[in-house]
Amino acid sequence: MRRRFSWGAGLWLFIGAAYFLIPLVATLLFSLKSNETGQCCSLSSYGEILHDPAFWKTLRLSLILAVETIVIALVLLIPTVYCVHLKLPRLRPVIGFLALIPFVVPPIILVVGLLDVFKGSPSWFYAEPYGFLVGAYVILAFPYIYFALDAGFRAIDVHTLTEASQNLGANWRTTLFSVILPNIRAAALAGAFLTLAIVMGEFTIASLATFDTFPIYLQYINQNKAYPAAAVTLIAFAITWGAMLSLLLVGRDRAVQLGGAK
Amino acid sequence: MEAGRGVRLPLAWLVVLPFFLYAFAFMFLPAGKVLFGAFQDADGGFTLANLEEITNEPYRTSFKTSIEVSLVTALLGGALGFLIAYSTIRDGTPRWIRSAFTTFSGVAANFAGIPLAAAFIATAGTIGIVTQFLAGHGYNPYEHGFTLFSKTGVELVYLYFQIPLMILVIAPAIDGLKQEWREAAANLGATPRQFWRHVGLPVLTPSLLGAVVLLFGNSFAAYATAYALTGGSVPLVPITIGFYLSGDVLSNPHLSHALALGMFVVLAVMMAIYVPLQRISSRWVK
Amino acid sequence: MGQQWDVDDILDRALQEEDPQRMDAVIARLVGEETMSRAAMLRRSAAAGIGLTILASPTAAFARSLGAAAAAPPQRGASIGFATILKEAKREKKINTIALPPDWANYGEIMSTFKKRFGLGLTNDNPDGSSAQENQAVRSLKGDARAPDVLDVGPSFAIAGANEGLYAKYYNRYWGSVPRAMKDGRGFWLADYWGVISFGINRAVVSTIPRSWDDLLKPEYKNKVALNGSPLTSGSAVAGVFSASIGNGGSLNDVGPGIDFFKRLKDAGNFIPVQATPQTIASGQTPIVIDWDYLNLAYVKAYPSARIAVSIPSDGVYGAHYCQAINATGPHPWAARLWQEFLYSDAGQLLWLKGYSHPARFTDMSKRKVIPGALVKALPSPTAYAKVKFATPGQLSRAGAKIAAEWPAKVGS
Repeated sequence: MRRRFSWGAGLWLFIGAAYFLIPLVATLLFSLKSNETGQCCSLSSYGEILHDPAFWKTLRLSLILAVETIVIALVLLIPTVYCVHLKLPRLRPVIGFLALIPFVVPPIILVVGLLDVFKGSPSWFYAEPYGFLVGAYVILAFPYIYFALDAGFRAIDVHTLTEASQNLGANWRTTLFSVILPNIRAAALAGAFLTLAIVMGEFTIASLATFDTFPIYLQYINQNKAYPAAAVTLIAFAITWGAMLSLLLVGRDRAVQLGGAK
Repeated sequence: MEAGRGVRLPLAWLVVLPFFLYAFAFMFLPAGKVLFGAFQDADGGFTLANLEEITNEPYRTSFKTSIEVSLVTALLGGALGFLIAYSTIRDGTPRWIRSAFTTFSGVAANFAGIPLAAAFIATAGTIGIVTQFLAGHGYNPYEHGFTLFSKTGVELVYLYFQIPLMILVIAPAIDGLKQEWREAAANLGATPRQFWRHVGLPVLTPSLLGAVVLLFGNSFAAYATAYALTGGSVPLVPITIGFYLSGDVLSNPHLSHALALGMFVVLAVMMAIYVPLQRISSRWVK
Repeated sequence: MGQQWDVDDILDRALQEEDPQRMDAVIARLVGEETMSRAAMLRRSAAAGIGLTILASPTAAFARSLGAAAAAPPQRGASIGFATILKEAKREKKINTIALPPDWANYGEIMSTFKKRFGLGLTNDNPDGSSAQENQAVRSLKGDARAPDVLDVGPSFAIAGANEGLYAKYYNRYWGSVPRAMKDGRGFWLADYWGVISFGINRAVVSTIPRSWDDLLKPEYKNKVALNGSPLTSGSAVAGVFSASIGNGGSLNDVGPGIDFFKRLKDAGNFIPVQATPQTIASGQTPIVIDWDYLNLAYVKAYPSARIAVSIPSDGVYGAHYCQAINATGPHPWAARLWQEFLYSDAGQLLWLKGYSHPARFTDMSKRKVIPGALVKALPSPTAYAKVKFATPGQLSRAGAKIAAEWPAKVGS
């Protein structure tokens, strides 16, 4: 029995959509202005960005770093949060507290500290964005992924699912992969979305560790160019949104709908 | 089951160990620098002067403003985010709307800094498109006391990433609010308000609290957007930290560390309020 | 009257040479021709052939005859031949720079010219970084191949870095012609270029150009005046407060009147507390920007639709210079010295002048009449700069402390 579309819900959706879209429209209008006349309409700003090799190089790097960060963070945190919900509930406030630390340590202090701590480490880690930078990004993503997973695990009945699965003879691996994971799919995806956005937006650590990522390129355009800055903002927005949609599709393919997920 | 539990307990600790090791190496050690730095003076000796300094003006105003902005955007963003999330998830809303809002939220949750400030300046600045539209119809908000370049403006702009964050974090919890409960309540004659008061909100409160705390922390740590929007005239603690740590005018790293320690204390107090509240509200569910 | 050369032509011809001293000779000759009569020009070209051979100095020839090169670079650039410096630098293959925005004082062209002329790779990290971040990079990346080799920092940070031992001592061959007040006696840094605080006006939005600090208080400029960031962190904003202070009865030792001026500006409703960025300048959101003259002058060409005009306040002219230093533990020490040798030659200084900033050797070069007429015309008239005042680092830090204490309450929201 499908309920009717509610006008109250419609109102909130409309307000939300207006608030989110109007600033983007303003940015779009600005990006279409030509530098010579200051009036509409010209695609030259977009051309300037899309023909810039630095744009493509830094974009590729940041997307790869994002995927790497998501994988490492999920591999590290899903078993941890699962165990905490299942067996170690006393640890939950501890980890919740730890999850607030990345908010407190300003990125600039974090990067100086990390550069100091890892100075002697091998150069395949220290001098590579795939090593050092991802290491820092997992920490930045940690609060978001943790709270998302925590909410997700809370929404399912972990104990019942685990016991049922084990009573049916499944080992831990099967339980985790075939029973638990599909149920927290939405939460894990939410965490992945946030991580992707964080990596595509993180500036301070990358700049102080002298790596050349997409947000560094964005900041440079924003500080030095006018109309292309608006253009690159929208391009970056579209690209990140596209990446999220593809994440959604990837997640949906493997979905085992066990109620809850709509 | 009992015998099994005795064997499995160490295994659980083993599973969470990698996480704690990682957190130690990549978080505690650098964060420790902050803690120690707060108690050091320029020559490396022990001192409480930095901590004493941050309780004076203008730092006290920075903390007040930061806490106020974070509370406002966390509560408002939480409420609005919840309403929008629920509107996209509830039965009756076409399914594509949920995907659209969820993916958009993923992007918007980290849309910040100069691009976000520029987008809002282009919208509601003195010559923004909305401002010009309203002025053309006889009401120029800037002549009636409104200005984007203020604390209110910062709060308005911060909602742009707070609301999406709330949507993303609370959606899985709303999913857990089983459809059957809603229908059962309706069958028993409960009005929607009674459903929410006795079933919906109590079930969701632990997750709502966690989400609001996350939003608070998110807002508390943000600075690039506010700086671009107000040129640093709205005093926020992370901005002040940047002034003393990486600016071109002032330099006092240990003061920055003390300010960061102050942020830590604020968030610790937040957690101290959150944990018992959460425990109480979890009991409502079971 | 001789022929007027296009600046790019002069630089192109000069850059055919590899040795900066030869480059300078070409420039001197071409600029000299701008004011020369035709007969004099003919006489000169006859002597040109002999003139060029005289330039090959004995030291250069001697250095070329050396087999193996010195391992560590010397402290005095003039003590060895340029060819040696170039050879060693080429062996290092690249140079790491940091915090050099391409649109700042023509650094974009400086970097690409350096790369092309000397065949070295060049990386530029963190183009919008602050001086503090530059010094921090030296500390954090010590011993790493990504550490910066050369730095361009504000004077307080240059002094702090020198005292901390971050920089190497180096006297490039042009050291003598840099004014004493603009260099470190111990040889750790020297000024590279300076500019003064100016108003950049978007004439598509503002019709009357303000010419003094008092002008800014006029009611027609409501919601129109902006700084480039906060004076608690931005060098140009602090300079704006200094300049306002001088123009309102204050002095370099007392920025109080400057802070009070901005409070008056805010109370009048003229000051908008937004950071001026290219987007706000081009769109007209910040039609009057208080910023360095070399930045505002660069905006003239960059944003034609805004029809930018630049005026230097008549009642308070405040200038500041940035400092060039070499990282003591940088990975490419010879390339770093090559960078300085090139930048302080007339050719290098002209590149900075092309970016509308006053290079450190400006006075020396004007006296020797080696500045192309076209460049002189592109800058505002020298009388506007005549009363320029520079603050000492002591005055800067006192001002910073006073601003940190008073600005948030008086001008903040």
